Amino acid sequence: MTGKERVFRTFEGELTDSLPWVPFTGVHAGKLLDYDAKEVSTDADKIVAAALEVNRLYKPDGQPVMFDLQIEAEVLGCELLWSEDSPPTVKTHPLAQENEIPTYIPKRSDGRIATHLKAIETLKPLIGDTTALYGICCGPFTLASHLRGTDIFMDMILDEEYVHSLLTYTNEVAKAVASYLIESGIDVVAVVDPLISQISPSHFNQFMSSPFSDLFSHIREQKAKSSFFVCGNATMNIEPMCNTRPDGISVDENVSLAEAKKITDRYEITLGGNIPLTTVMLLGSQPDNMKTVVDLLDTVSHKHLIVSPGCDMPYDTPIENTIAVEHAVHETESARSMVKNYEKTETEFTGTLPDYEHLERPLVEVFTLDSTTCAACTYMLAAAQDAVSSIKESVDLVEYPYTTMENIGRCRKMGVTKLPSIYINGKIAFSSVIPAREELVKRIREVM
Amino acid sequence: MVDMNALSELLQRGKAKDVKEMTQQAVDEGISVQTILDDGLLSGMNVIGVKFKNNEIFVPEVLIAARAMNAGMEVIKPLLIDNNIESRGVVVIGTVKGDLHDIGKNLVGMMMRGKGLTVIDLGTDVAPQTFIESAISNKADIIACSALLTTTMKEMGNVVKAVKDARLDESVKVMIGGAPVTESFKDMIQADAYSSDAASAAEIALQLCRKVS
Repeated sequence: MTGKERVFRTFEGELTDSLPWVPFTGVHAGKLLDYDAKEVSTDADKIVAAALEVNRLYKPDGQPVMFDLQIEAEVLGCELLWSEDSPPTVKTHPLAQENEIPTYIPKRSDGRIATHLKAIETLKPLIGDTTALYGICCGPFTLASHLRGTDIFMDMILDEEYVHSLLTYTNEVAKAVASYLIESGIDVVAVVDPLISQISPSHFNQFMSSPFSDLFSHIREQKAKSSFFVCGNATMNIEPMCNTRPDGISVDENVSLAEAKKITDRYEITLGGNIPLTTVMLLGSQPDNMKTVVDLLDTVSHKHLIVSPGCDMPYDTPIENTIAVEHAVHETESARSMVKNYEKTETEFTGTLPDYEHLERPLVEVFTLDSTTCAACTYMLAAAQDAVSSIKESVDLVEYPYTTMENIGRCRKMGVTKLPSIYINGKIAFSSVIPAREELVKRIREVM
Repeated sequence: MVDMNALSELLQRGKAKDVKEMTQQAVDEGISVQTILDDGLLSGMNVIGVKFKNNEIFVPEVLIAARAMNAGMEVIKPLLIDNNIESRGVVVIGTVKGDLHDIGKNLVGMMMRGKGLTVIDLGTDVAPQTFIESAISNKADIIACSALLTTTMKEMGNVVKAVKDARLDESVKVMIGGAPVTESFKDMIQADAYSSDAASAAEIALQLCRKVS
């Protein structure tokens, strides 16, 4: 079963061979190829290259092409503040001082909408058959706030008609962008509207129900799937969100996935979430990440469930943590036993480490989660095999998968904390990022 | 006689014009400024803080209540000065360098004002040195830093360091908050306090001011 089938069948309420995994790799994708955030926000070729690397390393069932809520706002006149390690932020709000309702609907060729569409069209034939492509579309409420600024909240009480009119406009923008995304090859339009968590259910029903229902109906008419992404504690709004009839809803760690799923299950809506971004993915260890996923999966029914980070992944999310999450989603039982073994503090290495200072020939040791199941581990081992076979002289190569107590003990003894990693003569050479053959050969030759 | 509960109720419903009128009426009737402040305006804002924390109300309701509080404060501000009624503490607040998000920071500032604290809002994209300069010139008890991004929260550590470098760490406490910020992050950067929500932040700030003074 392909990842794309896994995603689509999950939307239809079928149970699949494993749960679908959709990493929200926005600017983080750039980290895999040493591109900064601005490069993977503005350069279609780099967006494509980074997305392909995400696809190769993280084995996603679905993935976004970009994750940037400022694309539409920029086209509509908001100035942006750029950063090297995060998506841009809206700096100015064109409607801050005036109660105008704009009329301009962005075109396919406008600004970074064109960049996004070009990247989608390039990626579609490369990975689109096997991976569900997610297209991020800025939700009408967040787009309205980009244009108006935070006064939009006060307007909801002081000038209701203005808010209705502005949301009608921003929803037309969202519908146009959703159409462009679908025409370019997007399978799932992710309508991302983080600010929804900041308003009451009654305000949701008053202002948001109509535009969002209209938007999801528009996406449905074009035979694409839709997902309603929200950040923050949106617990109170999950049911009103369900009533707008998206195919999916995605929440972050501020919402209890189990509680939210009780609601979404009643509406047969697929729920996505909600691996904690900062405490676990950014700052946690590989075992923390595996344990979080395993525990999360134990709390909810698996029908209509997609596993994802809580929101857009931070640029510096350790690559090995994401690899661990993928392993835990797709090989849950294997991850469960790894975590169990990791927690056994008494695990000690009883064997003998090689005498690294007096080796007869170079020794390449590949520490993996398990190269038969973890994509990144497979590539890491293959890279090592490829490099070793290209060297005429004799080089020893061995893999230590993290699946036996002996190897777990060995990892501890060696101080290996990131998997997969390559050690040469007992010293760390590469971790998480798969080296090119030339690079690895060079490092091996250095110890010959 | 103006009923302070009625004033508090009007504030909670965000009726700025009515709050202003009723506050003026209370002043005219000779009700003490301290009573108007504590039992009317701050009491109303306190209820707003609790309801916000409990997810009973949301951002629009808080903003509209804060606007009503400001309308009442305009009336009594000159009288507070005349009566030598001092602020309960001074907080310099801002979103850290490189970060333009201000909803959370604004809410925290409003809740702090609702506790009777004087709040100097430096806005967004605030450099550590700007926090320091403002803290010195305003004789602040607290520097409160906000960040929404995992990439900018690191700046909070620079603010803590700047406070130490300026040798203000005895007199100024650093509070931090924002979506990605956690208690353990607070410990890591050695800030003085962390809060996960605006209402608790205001309560913690009040407690810190009592300790500082």
